[in-house]
Amino acid sequence: MAWLIAAGSAHAGGERAAPSRPRGLYLLCWFLGSLLTAFLVVPLLALTLSQSWTGFSDVARMADVRDAIVLSLEGAFLSATLAALAGVPLAYGLARTSFPGKGVVEALIDLPLAVPHTVAGIALLMVFGRQGVLGEPLAALVGLKFWGTLAGIVVAMLFVSAPYTVNAARIGFAAVDPRLEKIARTLGLNPWRTFWRITLPLARRGIMTGVTLTYARSISEFGAVVILVYYPMTAPVKIYELFLRFGLDQAASAAVLLLFVSLGLFLILRALSRGAPERENR
Amino acid sequence: MTDAGVAVETLSLSLGAFRLDAVDFAAARGEILVVLGPNGSGKSVTLETIAGFHRPESGRVWIAGRDVTALPPERRKIGFVVQNFGLFPHLDVEANVALARRGGRNGSGKAALPLSGDPRALLKYFGVAHLARRRPADLSPGEKQRVALARAVAGAPDLFLFDEPFSALDAQTRGELRDELKAFLRELKIPAIFVSHDHSEALTLADKIVVLRGGVMLQSGPTAEIFQKPAAAAVARIVGVENILDGRIAATDGGIAAIAVGDRTLRALAPARFAGPGTPVRLSIRAEDVSIAAPAEASAPAPESEPARNRLDGKILGLRALGALVAIEIDCGLPLKAYLLGPQARAMKLGAGDAVTVEIAGDAIHVMTG
Repeated sequence: MAWLIAAGSAHAGGERAAPSRPRGLYLLCWFLGSLLTAFLVVPLLALTLSQSWTGFSDVARMADVRDAIVLSLEGAFLSATLAALAGVPLAYGLARTSFPGKGVVEALIDLPLAVPHTVAGIALLMVFGRQGVLGEPLAALVGLKFWGTLAGIVVAMLFVSAPYTVNAARIGFAAVDPRLEKIARTLGLNPWRTFWRITLPLARRGIMTGVTLTYARSISEFGAVVILVYYPMTAPVKIYELFLRFGLDQAASAAVLLLFVSLGLFLILRALSRGAPERENR
Repeated sequence: MTDAGVAVETLSLSLGAFRLDAVDFAAARGEILVVLGPNGSGKSVTLETIAGFHRPESGRVWIAGRDVTALPPERRKIGFVVQNFGLFPHLDVEANVALARRGGRNGSGKAALPLSGDPRALLKYFGVAHLARRRPADLSPGEKQRVALARAVAGAPDLFLFDEPFSALDAQTRGELRDELKAFLRELKIPAIFVSHDHSEALTLADKIVVLRGGVMLQSGPTAEIFQKPAAAAVARIVGVENILDGRIAATDGGIAAIAVGDRTLRALAPARFAGPGTPVRLSIRAEDVSIAAPAEASAPAPESEPARNRLDGKILGLRALGALVAIEIDCGLPLKAYLLGPQARAMKLGAGDAVTVEIAGDAIHVMTG
C-alpha cells in the first residue's frame, strides 16, 4: 500500500543538472556594452589628450573664457534651483494623485526632451523676447528683461532641463510606500510634517538625481540659449565662438576646461546625493 | 457608545466600484476583534476608514467614547501596524519611536503601563532597548514587531489597528509573533482590530470575529460561535469548514432533524430557526468531527446516550499528508473530508479504495438555513 506521508520528502536529493548560466547571452551583452561604453568615453578622452599644457593654460587664463564658465555655472545653479522648487511639488502631485488628463500632463512635461533645442529657443523667443507675450510686459512693468541677461539664460536652461527633475522626483515619490505616510499620520503628524519627516527624506535620492541631471543638462545647453541670449556668452556659446573665430585649437582647450569643471561638479553632486547611508527596508 | 472600546456604527462608503455597506461592530477595552474576509472583501478599507483615511458616506466611528468620525487620522489616537510592520527605513529604532512621542500625553489615562512617552523606556518595556541605534533593515521580524508596538504605544493610542502584519512571514515566525502580539495586547488592555484573510490566525487571536465579504458583513460574534455556528455557507467557507453539504429537511422530531443529503440521511440538531420538512438547508461539518472506523468495529451498536450519531459506509478516495494530520477524502454517497493524526492513520493502514465506516455526532453537524 503506497504511503503518501513518506512520499513527501522522497524526491529530495538525486542528480540534478548544475544550473547553467546563459553564457552566449552574457558574452553578447558584454561585447555590445563595451562597444557603447567605448563610444561614449573615447571622444572625451581623445579631446583631453589632444591638449598641450601651454595651450590649455593659455586659454584657462583668458578672462572671457572664465567668465563664460562662471556664467554657465550660475545659470545652471539657478535653473536647477527653480526646477527643484517648482518641479518637486509637481512630481509629488503626479505620484500621489490621479486626475483626468494626468497622462496628458506627463506627456507635456516630457515634451521639451523631444523638441530640438533650436526650436525650443525660437519658441522661447516668442514668449520671452523683446516683443514676446511675457517679455514685453515684464520689461515694461518690472524691468525684467530676458535678452542679454542671466534671466534669459536661466529661462532657456530651465525649459530644456526641468523634465529631468520632475521625472526623477516623481519616480522617487512613487517608490515611497503610502502606508508609511499613513502610519506617520496615525502617530500624530499632520500632512505637512508627514511630508517633511517621512516622504521627502525617503524620496531624497530620486529628487537629488533629478536635480543633478537638470544641473548637468543646463550647463551643457547650447541651442536654446544661443537663440534666446547670444550675449553674455555661456561656456558652450563661447566655445562655439572660439571655434568660428580662431579654429579648433582654442575651442578644444576651452572645451576641455569646461569638461573638467562640469564633470567635477557632476561627480560631487552625485556623491552628495548618494552620501548618507540609506538602506531600503526589505 | 461611551466606554473605552471602539464602535463602528453602520459605516458605508463607496470607493470606485467597491462599496462598503453598513458595517457595524464593537469591541470593548482589551478585546481583540478580527475582521476576517477574503481579498477584496473590504477589510482594509474598513480599517482605513476607522483610522480616518476614507470619509464614510454614513455611519460613525467611536474610539474610547469619542466620536472621531470627523477627525483627521492624526487626532484619532490610533496605533497602526501594517504588513512588514512599516518602520520608517530612514530612521533608526529610537527615532522611529521618538517620532510618535506626544509629550507623554495620554488622553484617556487608561494605559496599564508606566509609559512616560520616553522612547528609551518604551523600547525597554518591549525588550528592544539594545536596538535603539539600529536601522529597521537590520532587524528580524520579531524585533520589528516589538519596535512597531513601541512606536504605536508612544502615540498613546486608544485603539490598535493591524492590517495583516504577518502576511509576508513564514508560517513558524507568524505563529510565534502572533502569540507574542496576543500577550502584549492582553497586557496593554487597549482594544485592537486585526484584519486577516487567514481563519487560523483569527482563531488564535480573536475574542470576536466579524466576517466580511464583498463589503457586506456576513456575521459577527464571539470566535467560538463563528467557527462552530457559521450563519451561512459563505461564512463556513471563510472560516475554513471542510465539509459543506446541500440537503433538505426530511423530518423533525423534537430537537433532532433528519436531513436528506443525496440518497443518504443525516441526523443533526434541528436549526434554531423553525424549518419544516422540505426546507433546503446546508450542513457545515468540520473535518475533525468526522471520525473513521474500520468496517468491522463499526458494527457495534451505538450507545444510547448518543441518539443522533450518524454512521455511514464509504470508500476512501485518497489521502494527503498535512504535517501532523492526514486529510482523507471519503465517498459515502456524499463527499466527506476527515482528519486523522498521522500515526493513527498509519496504524489503521488506510489506503485509497479501502472501505471504511464514518461516524459523525449529530451535534457536530451545524444546519444552516441561510
